[in-house]
Amino acid sequence: MKNKKHLFLIAFRQLSQRKRQSILSLAGISVGVMVLITAISLMNGLVESFVQKIINIAPHVLVSGEKMLPLVPDQLIKPGKNSEVNFIKNVYRSDEEVIKNYKKIMDLIEQDSLVEMATPLVGLNTIGKFGTTTLPVQLFGIIPSSQDKIEKFKKSMISGNYDQLERTPDGILLGTSAAQDFSAKVGDRIQIVANNGNIFSLRVIGIFSTGINDIDGNVYVNLKLAQNIGGYPPNEVTDIYIRVNNLKKDYLVADNIKNLTNYKAITWEEKASSVLALFKMISMIVYFLVFFVVLVAGFGVANVLITNVLEKTRDIAILKSIGFKKSEITVIYIFQGLIVAIIGAAIGCLLGYGMIEILSSIKIASSSSSAVRADRLLMGKNLWYFTFSFGFAVLVSLIASIIPARNAAKVNPVEILRGEK
Amino acid sequence: MNDIIIKAENVNKTIVNKNGGEVVSTTILPDISLDFRRGEFSAITGPSGSGKTTLLYLIGALDMPTNGRIFLEEKEISAMKEEELAELRNEKFGFVFQFHFLLPEFTALENVMMPMLARGRTTVKRAREKAAELLKQVGMEDKQNNKPNQLSGGQQQRIAVARALANDPIVLLADEPTGNLDSKNSENIYSLFEKLNRENNQTIIVVTHDEHFALRTHRKIHIIDGKIDQDIRTKEPGSSIQS
Repeated sequence: MKNKKHLFLIAFRQLSQRKRQSILSLAGISVGVMVLITAISLMNGLVESFVQKIINIAPHVLVSGEKMLPLVPDQLIKPGKNSEVNFIKNVYRSDEEVIKNYKKIMDLIEQDSLVEMATPLVGLNTIGKFGTTTLPVQLFGIIPSSQDKIEKFKKSMISGNYDQLERTPDGILLGTSAAQDFSAKVGDRIQIVANNGNIFSLRVIGIFSTGINDIDGNVYVNLKLAQNIGGYPPNEVTDIYIRVNNLKKDYLVADNIKNLTNYKAITWEEKASSVLALFKMISMIVYFLVFFVVLVAGFGVANVLITNVLEKTRDIAILKSIGFKKSEITVIYIFQGLIVAIIGAAIGCLLGYGMIEILSSIKIASSSSSAVRADRLLMGKNLWYFTFSFGFAVLVSLIASIIPARNAAKVNPVEILRGEK
Repeated sequence: MNDIIIKAENVNKTIVNKNGGEVVSTTILPDISLDFRRGEFSAITGPSGSGKTTLLYLIGALDMPTNGRIFLEEKEISAMKEEELAELRNEKFGFVFQFHFLLPEFTALENVMMPMLARGRTTVKRAREKAAELLKQVGMEDKQNNKPNQLSGGQQQRIAVARALANDPIVLLADEPTGNLDSKNSENIYSLFEKLNRENNQTIIVVTHDEHFALRTHRKIHIIDGKIDQDIRTKEPGSSIQS
């Protein structure tokens, strides 16, 4: 069976003889592939743009004041059946969660060659007041010049001047959500109430919008001012943000910091794990549903083949009588499935491409409750969406062809050739 | 001229039907032995259900005997496997059926080419030339590019004969080749068979109801209930046939 050309020809002619049915099942595959590509593009677009934003504007590793708990006997030994363990619970000093001598710690951190830069922060829960509005607000004290290297505020400014923050000891930078909540604009004075009741009157020097709602709800001041508001001595901060130069090794940096400093260090993946897990779950659901769309399309292919085989028993008998082998009959019908699948999937890829273009050009109102703000659907575009969807549809069709094709091979020519039954 | 090319020895064919829990077995051919010589033009006749078609299919390796042995040129075909039988049908036998059974999606020429392409032994070009030649032989050279539905029953049957001859078969087997044709077209098919037998020394075995047809062959085998009732050689193979 070197030359399969004639088998392909038989397959093709039989299909084109039943144009309407063949085109319908072909359309089924096309739609299945299109939906699959669109769904993958939507899901990946969302996740990728989220991850991309996080990587660009959030710290890769976050060191916080929380001390790592040393391993102690009550964590090491589980009371067994036949053992009795007496222990006295370790007593910790319940310190405030601060990083002491942060400059020394930063020196330690920056010795790691994987670390690109580190910058200290003081994070506080405060109350903001402007006019009649009083709202709780997350306030961060930062060193503006180095903070910008992580959170790219300068690029995200929608009004005011970021550089001015460093030169303005009582300046405050608002995220766009915070600014909207207070209805404040550049030049206004906002009151910040500290935990101990002290009130600080601060001047808004700028408003930024990063697109990540978590960050856009915060307000930022100089580090010194925040230490002042929170009542921390000058050598204490609450967090250190770190950017690494190799994202794949961020967990090494975090581990290293934990060992060196005994402070808690988490990577961005850990920090965003709940959102990432949610995305993963939604993706699973979407893929699961789309899988069924393709499966139904596969049934369409099986349907065409089953009717073709049923209607072509005469031809199959004839082919057998002139010496076609079982395996060759099988190949003819597998070819039919593949022809429908390949043409259908190719059209589906084109439709999918068009769908991505259309969806990504439609403007939509953004919801402030989503993780990432955007004014349109964030569609991913990648060759593998197409190759995967194509391959998957062809595989499903191939599987769908096997049973009808094998039934075709089982046709007993004697019964059919004897007379029209 | 008297060498035997097909030999059936004590061939039995029993069909077992499972009808629910009930097993019904029907013996079509109880025990039949006969042989055919090269160049012989034989007719198998008999009433419906006498087993004549079954016998033809057994000889042509389309079906397998339940018991007994069948030889083609001293090779036992009843012991062969499915794949070998397919090759045998392709290379050694040519079939013509009552219903013309052409592939409806293919032209006359392509239908005749199909057995040649099936094994891939020849190039498409050579198959095309050979097919055209065969169509000429059956008088259908001007219908090469017609699809079967554009042809009459008689024309289709001639193309089916051309197809049966595609791989120069040792034996041409025909199952009621004129059963579905009017007398004029039937006459054409008889003449064609006679011509093939006379000019190419083609061995032909025809199953037929048609006494008139049967009388024009070399040998008439009459079968009743799966048994040979009569086996008369009227003419010696190779001798001319009077009509």
